[in-house]
Amino acid sequence: MSLNRIARRATAAVAASAAFALALSGCTTTAGAAGSSSEPLQKEDLVIVASVINTLNPYFQGNITGAEALGEELGIPVEIVDANGDPGTQISKIQGVIAKGKKVVLFVNTVDNSVVRPIVDSVKQAGGFVTIWWNKPDDYEPWDAGDNFVAFQKHSGVDSGRCNAKALGDALGGEGNVIMLPGVQDSTTSQTRVAGFRAEMEENYPGITILEERPSNWDPQLAFDNSKQLITKYGDDIDGVWSADDGMQIGSMKAFKDAGLIDEVQFASDGLYPETIAAMEAGEPIVGETFHRGYMASAVGLYTAYLAATGEIVPSELPEEKRNSLFELSCVTPDTLPDYLQYDEPDAPAKFIDELIENGPWDAEPMPLVSGGPEVLP
Amino acid sequence: MVNATMQTENVDTTAIRQHELQTVRRSFIRGIAEPLGLIAALVALIIVFSLLNPRFATLENLRNVLDQASVPLIVGVGATLVILLGSIDLSVEGVMGASGMAWILMSANSRGGADLGVWAWIGAIAIGMALGFASGALFTRLKVPSFIVTLGMWYVGLGIATVMYGSGIVPMLTDEAVGGWASSATLGLPNSFWLAAVVVVLGVLTLRYTRLGRVTYAIGDNETIAKGNGVPVARVKTVVFVIAASLSGLAGIIATMKLGAGSATVGSGVLFVVIPAVVIGGTSLGGGKGGVLRTVLGVLLLTVLTNGLILAGVSPSWQSGVSGAILVAAIIVAAWSQRDRLRVAK
Repeated sequence: MSLNRIARRATAAVAASAAFALALSGCTTTAGAAGSSSEPLQKEDLVIVASVINTLNPYFQGNITGAEALGEELGIPVEIVDANGDPGTQISKIQGVIAKGKKVVLFVNTVDNSVVRPIVDSVKQAGGFVTIWWNKPDDYEPWDAGDNFVAFQKHSGVDSGRCNAKALGDALGGEGNVIMLPGVQDSTTSQTRVAGFRAEMEENYPGITILEERPSNWDPQLAFDNSKQLITKYGDDIDGVWSADDGMQIGSMKAFKDAGLIDEVQFASDGLYPETIAAMEAGEPIVGETFHRGYMASAVGLYTAYLAATGEIVPSELPEEKRNSLFELSCVTPDTLPDYLQYDEPDAPAKFIDELIENGPWDAEPMPLVSGGPEVLP
Repeated sequence: MVNATMQTENVDTTAIRQHELQTVRRSFIRGIAEPLGLIAALVALIIVFSLLNPRFATLENLRNVLDQASVPLIVGVGATLVILLGSIDLSVEGVMGASGMAWILMSANSRGGADLGVWAWIGAIAIGMALGFASGALFTRLKVPSFIVTLGMWYVGLGIATVMYGSGIVPMLTDEAVGGWASSATLGLPNSFWLAAVVVVLGVLTLRYTRLGRVTYAIGDNETIAKGNGVPVARVKTVVFVIAASLSGLAGIIATMKLGAGSATVGSGVLFVVIPAVVIGGTSLGGGKGGVLRTVLGVLLLTVLTNGLILAGVSPSWQSGVSGAILVAAIIVAAWSQRDRLRVAK
């Protein structure tokens, strides 16, 4: 290697380490200067941040829409953090946004339980406010962490499973064989939905047999493959299919279509995606759905955190059910479907924000607070 | 002096050619003899699963298995070529997502837009080719390891798919005939499988009878010698990466067609079937040894395993563990004949 090249490399190395050191010191300063504060914050110091698991399904896109609609209404800039399905990415990207300096009003749809503590710690240190949706460790409550962890919120998975079981049980006249396609096996959301579905069937539909449960990881492709295997295994013995979300239901229905069995099977699932609405309107055999919207979840979560940031609520003075909360979800059948179409109109998010600001985060229709968590499995 | 050097070169080239031919012949013979263990393992699995559930050994389930094997088979041909070079292509799932999404958006779908028919196929595969070219060029020209380049390209592909997906509704195929093509049967077997079979045959022919195939083995065997003999190593590698990515693109189209809906993660899990399938088949990760037909056996083994465990009623909680254990047992059986050879196992 020539001297010249050595010199050039050395310079580059020095420059790189200098940049790295600068970056490090920058982070330290931000973190050090911040710290938990109880002073109400001004709007211009705030940034609304919504972190989603990925941007590839209608639910997560709804989360983004809700954050943007709320930001527009409140006149606060919005940043979206896409976790790309990875816990580490979710934590580091959120920490990156916090390091920019503004106080965060944060909504996190958590990739898994493990991200909650590190995110809450970072937010707390920087004096921001966070509401967590869907997943958190059972032994870690908002009141353990202090006012910066404003609330943990979710819809009841048990209710969702019960809704679907009831619709499917009724559609089958209380008799028949059902297969189940849960999401990721160790996800709390999937487990609670499964538990609700099984409990409802056991208690009220003794004539229904659950043939098999085959976790399909929230993945339409895997649900398609698994359905094909189950069709081979049980053939036309299958009378009903339950999926833990509509994405998997799309995959499963395609498998039954390919097998020529679509007219002999009834489907039920969670989410009422736009595609599902279209399918129901076209007369496809979807007999039960649960309705909730991503934009409503993020708007409620962010508005709760915003009220804490501006001092309008003091989290430590709230009752526990407003800090670990279960919100209502609605059971939908083909008959009641028309009532829910209004929530997918282009102006629906803005309308919901108006409702939210008028009645507060715990009384906004159609998803008022139902009860406090944690969710009890039947 | 000059003449002497040229003569030496001539002599050298001939010797190498002969050696190449010999290698090809030898690997052809070995190609028949070695996979017997793997075939035995496959047969054993089939017998056990048939005993556990009579529905396993039916024509319907055969169709099912072949339909499910089609996507990993198509990807596996490309992956085998790349691994024969001694490189690896991890971009498979990203390329599948990008091509699959491009294809559905250019075909008749629930989002509207133009139905470009055959041009949708060409456009979608072109995206795969472009990604493969980028991988190949970065790998060969900038000397970045293929492992890293293609890992990056995986996410580039996923990014392209995500951008194309945007924030609209899930694009669903509206033409039932197109949506049902892959899984419907011709001569008793699913169309997707026939397509995969064509790709496999082309892969075998390419490796055995073309210069590209021979130099692929040569590069994987010893790149320095291949280069010293005037093989345009960089160009060959780039071409192989382009072929592999085009096949991933094709697989992305087939997977999307089967699902009937656009999904950026349509390829999810395929990489972790294909790479083990190639290795189980006996293609060396170090390059230079192996072939497409071995990969076919590997893919079939893994597909039968997944299908059979479900039909046998193994509980989902146990399935990963049981499937892993059977896999290890199958590899031991398959590699028994080679156990005393000095095979690098790292």
